[in-house]
Amino acid sequence: MISSSPVRHARLLIVMLLTLACTLAIQPRVHAFPQEAAPKADDPWNFADEEEEVQTWSQDLKNQAIDLAALVGFFTLTLVGFFKKSERLKWITMGAAVVYLGFARSQLITVVNIFALTEWNLPVFRHNLAWYLFAIFTVVTTVLWGRLYCGRICAFGSMTQLLDKVVPSKLRFEIPRRIEQRANYIKYGLLTATVLYFIVTKDISIYRYVEPFWMFSLNASTGMWVGLAVLLVATIFVRNLYCRFLCPVGAFLGLLSNLTVFRIKRWSECNSCKICEKTCEWGAIRGPKIVASECVRCDDCERLYMDTEKCPHWLILKRKERAAAARVT
Amino acid sequence: MRNPRLVITILLLAMAEVMLSFAARQATPDATLQAQLKRVFPGATSFSAKQPGPPPHFVAYSGDPSSKTIAGYVFWTTEAEPLERGYDGPIKMLVGMDTKGILTGVLVTEHREPYGYFSVEPPKFAQQFKNKDIRDPFKVGADVDAVSTATITINSSTRAIRNGARRVARAFLTPPGTTK
Repeated sequence: MISSSPVRHARLLIVMLLTLACTLAIQPRVHAFPQEAAPKADDPWNFADEEEEVQTWSQDLKNQAIDLAALVGFFTLTLVGFFKKSERLKWITMGAAVVYLGFARSQLITVVNIFALTEWNLPVFRHNLAWYLFAIFTVVTTVLWGRLYCGRICAFGSMTQLLDKVVPSKLRFEIPRRIEQRANYIKYGLLTATVLYFIVTKDISIYRYVEPFWMFSLNASTGMWVGLAVLLVATIFVRNLYCRFLCPVGAFLGLLSNLTVFRIKRWSECNSCKICEKTCEWGAIRGPKIVASECVRCDDCERLYMDTEKCPHWLILKRKERAAAARVT
Repeated sequence: MRNPRLVITILLLAMAEVMLSFAARQATPDATLQAQLKRVFPGATSFSAKQPGPPPHFVAYSGDPSSKTIAGYVFWTTEAEPLERGYDGPIKMLVGMDTKGILTGVLVTEHREPYGYFSVEPPKFAQQFKNKDIRDPFKVGADVDAVSTATITINSSTRAIRNGARRVARAFLTPPGTTK
């Protein structure tokens, strides 16, 4: 088991959640015009839906109920598939991510959210409950388990993974390990450069050129579509090219996932065995170590751990048992 | 560098250039503002300087400028409804409203919405608010056009216009007849 000081991680997580809760609790109560009295009961304007300004939480909730329910349903599917380590449910989740989160909602976590975070300029909480649910779910799952978001929730990542499933493996080009490990850092560079560019110029339009998530809105210039086409063609040859080497959001979540509380367990046999390392499509396993910031919790290695026919841990145990049984008889 | 004097000269020139461009931008803000005010309130002949309020606003005058006949009010949504925020900060819009509570025009001047280029930027968005009564429901999907996938942006900008206009109306307008 490699999990360096879980206590420290748990404490960090609690602090983070508390800060988040506090800011959210304070936010709706700030008023710009405290001196302005609330509308009088005999307000002569009689705006048809005046009560909306002092709308109760239940009404706000009702307006967003369908959106929230659909999102909760999707997250439930995601987590059930993750905890059951079910490959089938994972593919269903990714299909739903492309159709529902991608083309229908088209609100993924984007670098614009990171821009907003630098100035704490977030949408109004009570009017955008679904967005907050989405963002908080992403952050919390990342801190608890790792880049689950990248592996099965992000619509673009899901799309390229589904693409990879369809493309004949003959076309695939495996990047040499040493180059791959260096290329992993490009995304951190891109994240830093993009955020710095934003801080200096306050111009968000850069997001169009560093991430392709706008594609789901189907609104873009010809140049953007051409760039996307090039990226997708490259993705046919190098699987998950964008997610592994370029995505600034992935880099941000990668930084966050260094806090991961519940890590993938490793057997002592993992020091010498290479099965998982070879299976990992994300290049996240290096020898005995799993690099948390590259791991997207795809479950491939964990399914191998559970496989008593393949994992040396179980094979060795079995052999010992057989030997013990032989000695008894 | 081999020639420090050349480098210093270039640096100084660059600084001067930056300062000049700033000065040039500072010189004409009023002309820009007047043009913007005129666009959201074409019927007015002149506008007051910004009044502190609350909420902060411009008064639009009609007829002979000396008569000071009030035709309506113009305000920035970011000042009348400062807490409203879209995806990444407020969506800055200039809104004109006549004395009867009918909107005369909306102009989106600044925003940082990722999907703004196809939701609030096209003139179609601002145009639909012209001649809209502030007693209308302003419901996205009903009397305000919805733009799929840009929900947060459209909802936030619509709320800013509606709530800002109502706040200004409550402060400065006389409700038309008490016909209720």
